Amino acid sequence: MSALLSVADAHVAYGKVEAVRSVSLQVGANQIVTIVGANGAGKTTLLSAIMGIFPLKGRVSFAGQDLARLDIEDRVAMGLGLVPEHRELFVTMNVEDNLELGAFRIERSKAKASMERVYTLFPRLKERRKQLAGTLSGGEQQMLAMGRALMGEPKLLMLDEPSLGLAPIIVADIFRIVTELRASGVSVLLVEQNAQAALKIADQAYVMELGEFVLSGKASDIAANERVAASYLGFQHEGASGL
Amino acid sequence: MNTTIMLFLVQDGITNGAIYALLGLALVLVFAVTRVILIPQGEFVTYGALTYASLAAGQMPGTAKLALALGIGAFVFDLFVARKALHGRLIVRSFVANIVLPAIVLALTVYFASQKPPVAVCIALSLVIVAMIGLYLYRIAFQPLAHTSVLVLLIASVGVHLALQGLGLLFFGAEGQRGPAVLSGSFTAGALRFTGQSITVYGITIAFIVGLWLFFGFTLYGKALRATAVNRLGARLAGIRTTLSGQIAFLLASVIGALSGIMIVPITTLYYDSGFLIGLKGFVAAIIGGLVSYPLTAVAALVVGLVEAFSSFYASNYKEVIVFMLLIPVLLLRSLAAPAVEEEKD
Repeated sequence: MSALLSVADAHVAYGKVEAVRSVSLQVGANQIVTIVGANGAGKTTLLSAIMGIFPLKGRVSFAGQDLARLDIEDRVAMGLGLVPEHRELFVTMNVEDNLELGAFRIERSKAKASMERVYTLFPRLKERRKQLAGTLSGGEQQMLAMGRALMGEPKLLMLDEPSLGLAPIIVADIFRIVTELRASGVSVLLVEQNAQAALKIADQAYVMELGEFVLSGKASDIAANERVAASYLGFQHEGASGL
Repeated sequence: MNTTIMLFLVQDGITNGAIYALLGLALVLVFAVTRVILIPQGEFVTYGALTYASLAAGQMPGTAKLALALGIGAFVFDLFVARKALHGRLIVRSFVANIVLPAIVLALTVYFASQKPPVAVCIALSLVIVAMIGLYLYRIAFQPLAHTSVLVLLIASVGVHLALQGLGLLFFGAEGQRGPAVLSGSFTAGALRFTGQSITVYGITIAFIVGLWLFFGFTLYGKALRATAVNRLGARLAGIRTTLSGQIAFLLASVIGALSGIMIVPITTLYYDSGFLIGLKGFVAAIIGGLVSYPLTAVAALVVGLVEAFSSFYASNYKEVIVFMLLIPVLLLRSLAAPAVEEEKD
């Protein structure tokens, strides 16, 4: 099995309500895979469950290992990273401390080099490295959340709505960086409402509706699909204009 | 009142306030990291103090046996939780940390107790014993409840407090004890007489506060603890185990408690249940600090100490009442400043 992340027949429930039903997906090495879909389709729930935040019924394996009994922290140590929708930064600590803690499970000697890489990717963070995370702008907070996750040297980075609430120019920046990540060997699983922008950079795509995948395939094919175009691409012009 | 008396009271207040400051800081720390309101903090104080006093008097303290018993409990919990994925390294690690370590300490305690060891040995043993008790208590009583509400954790905390107090009566009896001074001798400066013990209290308090500041500001583990306090999910996503943070917080709290006890017991006679009231005064300081602010807690603790000293001079019968009444204006102000009731989120 060559896939880096493989999810088979996953169900996630809040009490009796099944938010995700019978979902299967694969992310290969050096791939950007996107899940698009409307608000409330279950995308965030699925990512959180893959990370171990919610219990998931079904099989999830990462780098050939079954994740069933592993805690969030162990999954992080294996190279699975999540940048959650609400970013979950350490708001009363400065940028550098946030980044340093991202490398909590990494050898100290490697962490220094990681930080340099993150600063090269996000020069803005270097300028603000002594500033408290809570005082950063929305875009900078998103960069910091991504930077913190990258400090843990993930093989797969899961991004939950990285463009939400950000100015178009910053969105363009973040999508450019996502493609740079792929070039440097990090796979990305990207959940986005901004379907047009996401489909443009992704290799594979899944369309999620009411907890299920209704379409999947090459991102370019999905983007060309009439139904997808009508449902998800019609109102997205402003968000993608910078690309 | 003349100046001499006033200076005496101030000195007394600062000495007590320093101890309350340490206890208050520990409470804030434990609450921020684990959301546990640490009622048993007072028991850490009495256990530390009375273990120290017993050892110095050549008696065998029961706390060493308690540490081993709790260690065995913690080991069983570890095995139970990992029952589906047991592997050798995990078992060995848990066995060493939870059984071998307290067994060695118990053996050392038995060996030293019979021959009235020097003060330094008594201090070291007392600290290690209480530290282990704190650590295993977290494993047994709080770690399995870590995801529950503050209220459930508070109930567990009250339960642990009552259990430890009962065990304290069993171990140390109903009579009070005093321990030898850590630093004997004294000197006078003007009208004031400084004993070696009060200097020790100031020194250790300042050293601890500076140490905590360095730990939280400049070490990876200290920052990880702060991160857990600020954002639990964020910390887990960075790979920081909530249980590790909880263990460090309880370890620090129990060591601080025991150390406070060891510093007080040469000055005041302590009984098995004295710790509660002492811990409660640290708690008053922590509440004034809103259970979040370390500097505010430290300052409030000094105020508590001073108020206590002066009220014991003017109205000694009402000393405790006056100290705890400090809370009422503070709570009133805080409730006015934040009128909305916040839902607990996690």
